[in-house]
Amino acid sequence: MALDIIFEPLKFRNLTVKNRIFRSNISGRFDCYNGVGTQTRINWEEKFARGGVGAIISSHVPISVRGRILPNYAFIDDDDKIPFWRKLGEKVHEYDCKYIMQLSHGGRQRDVGGVENTFNKALSSTDTTDSFHGLLCQAMTRDEIKMVVQQFADAARRAREAGLDGVELHACNGYLINQFLSSAINNRKDEYGGSLENRTRFLLEIIKAVRATVGDDFHFQVKLSAVDHNNALAFWEKKGNTLEDSVQVSQWIEAAGVDALHVSYGSTFPHPWNPPGGFPLDHAARTYGGMIPSGVFAFRNFLLFRYRLLRPIFKFLWTRTQPDEIEGINADEAQEIKKHVKIPVLVTGGFQTASYIRKCISEGSCDGVTIARPLVANNDLVKIYAAGKDSPDKPCTYCNKCLVHAISDPLGCYELSRYDGDYDRMIKEIMTVFTPAY
Amino acid sequence: MRDYEPMTSVEFAERRRVGKYLLIIIFVLAILASLLFWKFVPNAPIDYVGITDHFKYGSIGAEPANGIPYWIWKVLPDMFPEKLPAPGKGYESFGLIQEPGRETPIGFSVRRVIVDRVGMNCALCHTGTVRDTPQSQPRIILGMPANKFDLQGYARFLYACALDDRFTVDNVLQAIQRRTHLNPLDRLIYREAIWRTREVLIEQARLLSFMDSRPDWGPGRVDTFNPYKALQFNFPMRLDHTIGTVDLPVIWNQRPREGLQLHWDGNNTSVVERNKSAALGAGVTPVTIDIARLKRIEDWLWDLPAPRYPYVINETLAAKGEAVYQKHCASCHAFGAALVGRVTPIDKIGTDRQRLDSYTYELLENQNTLYAGYPWRFSHFRKTDGYANMPLDGVWLRAPFLHNGSVPTLRDLLEPPDKRPKEFYRGYDVFDPIKLGFITDVSEENGHKFFKYDTTLLGNSNAGHVYGTSLSTEEKDALVEYMKKL
Repeated sequence: MALDIIFEPLKFRNLTVKNRIFRSNISGRFDCYNGVGTQTRINWEEKFARGGVGAIISSHVPISVRGRILPNYAFIDDDDKIPFWRKLGEKVHEYDCKYIMQLSHGGRQRDVGGVENTFNKALSSTDTTDSFHGLLCQAMTRDEIKMVVQQFADAARRAREAGLDGVELHACNGYLINQFLSSAINNRKDEYGGSLENRTRFLLEIIKAVRATVGDDFHFQVKLSAVDHNNALAFWEKKGNTLEDSVQVSQWIEAAGVDALHVSYGSTFPHPWNPPGGFPLDHAARTYGGMIPSGVFAFRNFLLFRYRLLRPIFKFLWTRTQPDEIEGINADEAQEIKKHVKIPVLVTGGFQTASYIRKCISEGSCDGVTIARPLVANNDLVKIYAAGKDSPDKPCTYCNKCLVHAISDPLGCYELSRYDGDYDRMIKEIMTVFTPAY
Repeated sequence: MRDYEPMTSVEFAERRRVGKYLLIIIFVLAILASLLFWKFVPNAPIDYVGITDHFKYGSIGAEPANGIPYWIWKVLPDMFPEKLPAPGKGYESFGLIQEPGRETPIGFSVRRVIVDRVGMNCALCHTGTVRDTPQSQPRIILGMPANKFDLQGYARFLYACALDDRFTVDNVLQAIQRRTHLNPLDRLIYREAIWRTREVLIEQARLLSFMDSRPDWGPGRVDTFNPYKALQFNFPMRLDHTIGTVDLPVIWNQRPREGLQLHWDGNNTSVVERNKSAALGAGVTPVTIDIARLKRIEDWLWDLPAPRYPYVINETLAAKGEAVYQKHCASCHAFGAALVGRVTPIDKIGTDRQRLDSYTYELLENQNTLYAGYPWRFSHFRKTDGYANMPLDGVWLRAPFLHNGSVPTLRDLLEPPDKRPKEFYRGYDVFDPIKLGFITDVSEENGHKFFKYDTTLLGNSNAGHVYGTSLSTEEKDALVEYMKKL
């Protein structure tokens, strides 16, 4: 019997992962408010390591408090955070699982800035408010750009010092680097705006700085949106970067010394195509309230979620451009990018079926897949595949309840049907994250 | 105390946005309120630049309290043609004057009070027509008695419609829809207005039901004070058996009338008070009366001359007649004479006393409470013991004669009462230049039946005022010829 390609090791320039299944970036508000990590995050990551994934790519790890997306996420803004990440890495390594830290700056997409940011605006490429939550921002000065570039480099150094296996730049989904890359968002008139080359300048400066800091022998990947589709939800917005633009950016990234690409989609988060699936408005109505002070459109959104009469408006906007298929939603775009680069390409987007993953890898869409929600639903998905099953008995429904609960509740699968309608069992399962798996 | 709590950028942006939205909302609400106000609240009548149009169609304030929603009023003749004196001829069959291109006959005004409403004005009872021959076009003469208009018939028509089972919201709305398109809001308003209108008309019919036990008014006449008693003061009319039916008067040339005893029995010496009293009869209330627009009419009437006699006058004969007039008539009927505008006691004048008796002390007392709280509160009404001597300007247009319109022509009035016509027809407007009055022996024209006046009925007596009856035929003819010039 031929070796299952899912379980073939994936060799990057500086890293080898035991199989082709990566846990994609996802977590909840598990840490201390001041960015110090907790055992809960370790527990969270251990679930997936134990479940058999080849590598875990962390959820966003803020490189500075101003670049946070939500409070209670562990930072990598200072050397004092290194011990926590070291401990986390050691735990994951116990399962022969690699750990790649995603270095993140939310830019204007700062959902809940926290008390530290109450009186400042988020940094961005632009002064223009985002169209979803109405998050306010200010265009970064050159000095601020320099500062943030250095923060990324310092963060990468700390990740390496913590013994982690690599770093990933969060350059997609509408966060800071994407705000520079996107022609729909970046309206700068200086050397960081205008042409695609100018818009990519910020990213390339970060890559250069990171490489200069961590050296050439440390795994370093970039997560990129293949297509911005910036007007998928807000139809009055510009479209943003195309696949062709992203192919070009990928080539520049490769040339700059990046070891792998992680393909995603969209210039906002959430985005109708990422994470693909539904938008549970009834659940959003319960959890979105905490965002109301954050953005000038947030109360409007809350009303749209809260009142049944208004819900069809948001539902229409959310679903109007969505494709029928969810699993492998970005596979074609990843394949196009992979054709134009030599470095390995990972892709995210609803992967849950082993046979489909095999097909994507074998047909050259990607070299590995990254999975978030289906792994939240079934932490041991890889073991299920290893046992010969094509998909889990109770698969992820792509309901996105986990997404809307992430703002304020412990992260987990909130799809009650997966627990046979037993709410207590669901909560018990979700709460396991707070208990170390001894 | 220093404020240590600055606003966040979101709070600041929202405050600015809320301010902006508030301005927009206020602006939109203001526009909406203006539109609604413009549509429903303005209490705005249709105004006319020309004073004659204002007199014929302008409002004096009758619509808010007693106006009928325009479209209900408009479709009643469509719905109940069998109740009209001449089916198919609409309100004209009551002797109303319809000018081409006008929405209503003369004497009706339109005012927007939530919806357009139709009310009555002065011209209804004080505009008449004269024809030279049956084939002639009628001359419309403003200020003369409405010689063809059957006010009682018009009111009875409205009451009969209201009492008819077919006067339902749906039926009236259907009839309206056949004439015009009502928008949904107007339809809703009309649904309410239709049944309310019906209720008001039925109540008025009840209050005025006493009229059925008295002789009909016929065209050009009105019972001035008995409906007043019922409608203004809710008097128990079952206890009142008086008949106050009189000829409609002329209303021109009011300046020299100020201070004279006005109304047929001379019960008031103030022109403006008399006018406001008449306006109450047209449907205004002390609250709704449109003082400014009424004054515009009053100012015009103040010096409006009586129309000149349009036909040939035998000047030689008239000159003889002038001498007769000065000798026998002027002392009571010429402006400036001692007795003009003064009351001649009933025992002396000898005309029908019903109208005199219909004006009672009880009514007087109540009338003097009207317009309480306003500077123009009534204070001039008095009880008299006879009938006032009227100035005779424009007398050629004032037939039939005597207060109750019981003598068809001026020449007939110069005959002793037993020689005066016992019966004649009212409502025909072809002029009789020989006897000075309207032709009164025509009972019907083009299907329109005229009103037979019976002098033997209570209140209709043609007795009294025997002045001039003993003149010779030549003197009488000369006098009539001269009086055409007044």
